[in-house]
Amino acid sequence: MRDKTNGRYMKYGLFLIVMFMLFVFPVLKPPLFFLSLLFTAYMYVALAESWNLMGGYTGYISLGHIAFFSTGAYTTAVFMNRFGVSPFATALLGGFFAAVLAALVGYPVLRLKGAYFTISSLLLAVVMQLIFMNWDFVGSSVGLWYKLLPVSIEINRMIFYEVMLFLATAITLIVRWVEKSKFGAGLIAIREDEDVAKTMGINSPWLKMKAFILGAFFAGVIGGVYGYYIAYVHPEVTFNINTSLLILLMSFFGGCRTWVGPLFGAIVLSLVNQLIVTFIGAEISRILYGMLLVVVIIFMPDGVIHYIRGLFVHRKIRHGDSIL
Amino acid sequence: MLEGIEVSKKFGGLKALTNLNFSVEKGQIVGLIGPNGSGKTTLFNVITGFYPADSGKVLFKGKEITRCKPYEIAKLGIARTFQIVRPLLGLNVLDNVTTAVLYGRDNIGTMAKGRGRALELLEFVGLDKKKNAQAINLVSAERKKLELARALAIRPEFLLLDETFSGLNEAEVQDAIKLIFRIRDELGITIFLIEHVMKAVMETCDRIIVIQYGIKLAEGTPEEVSRNQNVIEAYLGKRRTC
Amino acid sequence: MTLSYIIESIISGILLGGIYAILSVGFGLTWGTMKVLNISHSVFAVLGAFVSYWLFVKLKVDPILSLPLIVIILFSSGAIIYKLVIRPVQRAKDVIMASMVATFGVAIVVENVMSYFWRPDPRILKPAYASSSIFLGEISISQGPLIGFIMAICAISLLYWFLNHTYIGKGVQATWQNPIGAALVGINQERVSLITFGLSIASAGAAGVAMALIYAFYPSVQSIWTLFVFLVTIVGGVGSVIGTGLAGLLIGSIIGICAAFLPFVWVNVLLFALLLVILLFKPEGLFGN
Repeated sequence: MRDKTNGRYMKYGLFLIVMFMLFVFPVLKPPLFFLSLLFTAYMYVALAESWNLMGGYTGYISLGHIAFFSTGAYTTAVFMNRFGVSPFATALLGGFFAAVLAALVGYPVLRLKGAYFTISSLLLAVVMQLIFMNWDFVGSSVGLWYKLLPVSIEINRMIFYEVMLFLATAITLIVRWVEKSKFGAGLIAIREDEDVAKTMGINSPWLKMKAFILGAFFAGVIGGVYGYYIAYVHPEVTFNINTSLLILLMSFFGGCRTWVGPLFGAIVLSLVNQLIVTFIGAEISRILYGMLLVVVIIFMPDGVIHYIRGLFVHRKIRHGDSIL
Repeated sequence: MLEGIEVSKKFGGLKALTNLNFSVEKGQIVGLIGPNGSGKTTLFNVITGFYPADSGKVLFKGKEITRCKPYEIAKLGIARTFQIVRPLLGLNVLDNVTTAVLYGRDNIGTMAKGRGRALELLEFVGLDKKKNAQAINLVSAERKKLELARALAIRPEFLLLDETFSGLNEAEVQDAIKLIFRIRDELGITIFLIEHVMKAVMETCDRIIVIQYGIKLAEGTPEEVSRNQNVIEAYLGKRRTC
Repeated sequence: MTLSYIIESIISGILLGGIYAILSVGFGLTWGTMKVLNISHSVFAVLGAFVSYWLFVKLKVDPILSLPLIVIILFSSGAIIYKLVIRPVQRAKDVIMASMVATFGVAIVVENVMSYFWRPDPRILKPAYASSSIFLGEISISQGPLIGFIMAICAISLLYWFLNHTYIGKGVQATWQNPIGAALVGINQERVSLITFGLSIASAGAAGVAMALIYAFYPSVQSIWTLFVFLVTIVGGVGSVIGTGLAGLLIGSIIGICAAFLPFVWVNVLLFALLLVILLFKPEGLFGN
């Protein structure tokens, strides 16, 4: 018992130390490249964790996450561009609009299962992209620019770094809490067998809706900050289908049954992805992650962490275990 | 306690249930038997809200539940098991039951309390030693026990059992019969069960309803039913010739 | 806006619809029978277009003449993808979802390999006859879409004939209707799967050539084609060859009629919104069983 408590203190201690080091990292004046590398990694952590509420726990694989992300980005862009309000003030509003959108489309779309749900979610993103491309109020195919913060580029990057680190930490902790709560247990039961879940008294439409809205809210807030970070929103940038796929791959790569999987997958793959894009080329990077997606689905559908653990304990991984 | 009035259900042109009347009194164990494809499982699915009835009514404790959703029916206190057991394969035994405890009628908010209650239920069905096993690694008899524990976890007043005895060996059937009686006597739960294992039906049931092609053929005590000429022809007779 | 303009617009819509039908028929076949939802379907259509383009540009081989070669090359690519990706994925718990995610990976790989070697620039397949038109009174019909349409009709008929009137084709159908029965009479399921998948990819390749006669193509156009494949397949009912053909013609007509009155982007918005509505209220499709 005493060992267990000690172990827990060790864990909390380690967590606090790591968080502290990450928060003070920009003070060491690292090259800007490192800050943007980590900013993007944090962003993908936050996105993958928020996607995992539906994709991992509930087993509803969405390719529409970028629609909510973009809703957030466009909300802050429009407020800054038209009314001069700071995106940091309106990011939560972006999350709110994304949540409203999720509630509206969720009602019909969440009745669909499997591939039909996935295709509908993809279509949501495509239809929105086409509409935004032709909607003058949101800048149509020209896009919208943000006014930059009146500070040096170093300070600017530092601010965004801290904001995104905070968001990623908060979202990961919330998702971790959901996983270990009654809410998470209900979502997992829906993934395992939705009919059985209903016989347990689980109101599955409502539970799915809550998870969908919560995930969309997070994506909206992240999108709101991201738009300000790149200082520009455009339908082809924010609604990029490759972003949706990358989020999916990160979660599957790490393992979408637990909160650790998307965290691990997002950090590793976003760093690898950015390094390859920067130093070799975007096409090579996409070829590699396409291959990785195939390999993960075939050989380790429960994620690399689970796979490696399986190698050590010689537990035979059976197909009933996996999400797919 | 549970009452069906003129319940009908069609699939396309196929009449699965036709104007079926039935009732189950509180504290009874009632059997539902009939040849394969006679509409037994369809009736369970109608009662539990998985299929909407085309016409007729289902009443539970005098209240109509015909249009209720499956989870609402569970909350009212009707639990069920599935013919082919459906454990949540990705979870361990304890978590399977815990989830049902959390969302069942006790409406427990914390995982710790839920686990405590789930463990009691696993002890009740005799599966507590396997609490940390993955559901996928259980053998058939253990899966059936898990299915029962999970059904009991919502703290039902009424339990629908779909072929709980099939696929069990002689000793396991005896165990299961004892368990059924304990569920009724110790937990005070009324039981409605579909069964093919005649020995178990004859031993456990106070009353038996026989259906064929979705129509009620006979109803009565086990002795009455086993002497009924229609039933012998339609069902028991066929068995003897095999 | 004259009447002849509207008629022309409808005719070109129908021609286009026929091509969408052949682009989709193989996709619906693998989804409906093998339970393999192949997102990489359209990327192989683009690959077919590229091979045809290079044969035409470098070796001056006419796209119509090179078509059989395209079909053979694409069938072989399909067989390779089957062995490497589809066969292992068929062991998953949920084959449809697993194949969908895995073939998303295949689509990304093939798209970016093409884009790496051949650049992402738009290209168009333009043999001399494709740019001229034939006239029926005041109505002109471009020959490019017409030839594409004829190719599409031939390919669909051929596929339909193959499935219903040849020994292997009947074996394919038998296996998907009753796998155990087919195994008992000695049909090799793996071989049948391979042939089904190969044919599906081959039909995509042929469709890609037909598409290239009308539209500019580039590696990333595959994602737009994929959306049209979803549209036609789901409207037609998954797995129905005839339903897919009808859905292609219907959608083509809608495109033709709308294109006469609306800017093209809004036609797409309308179509994909229509698909969303069908998914929600009639997911078995308009012409499904």
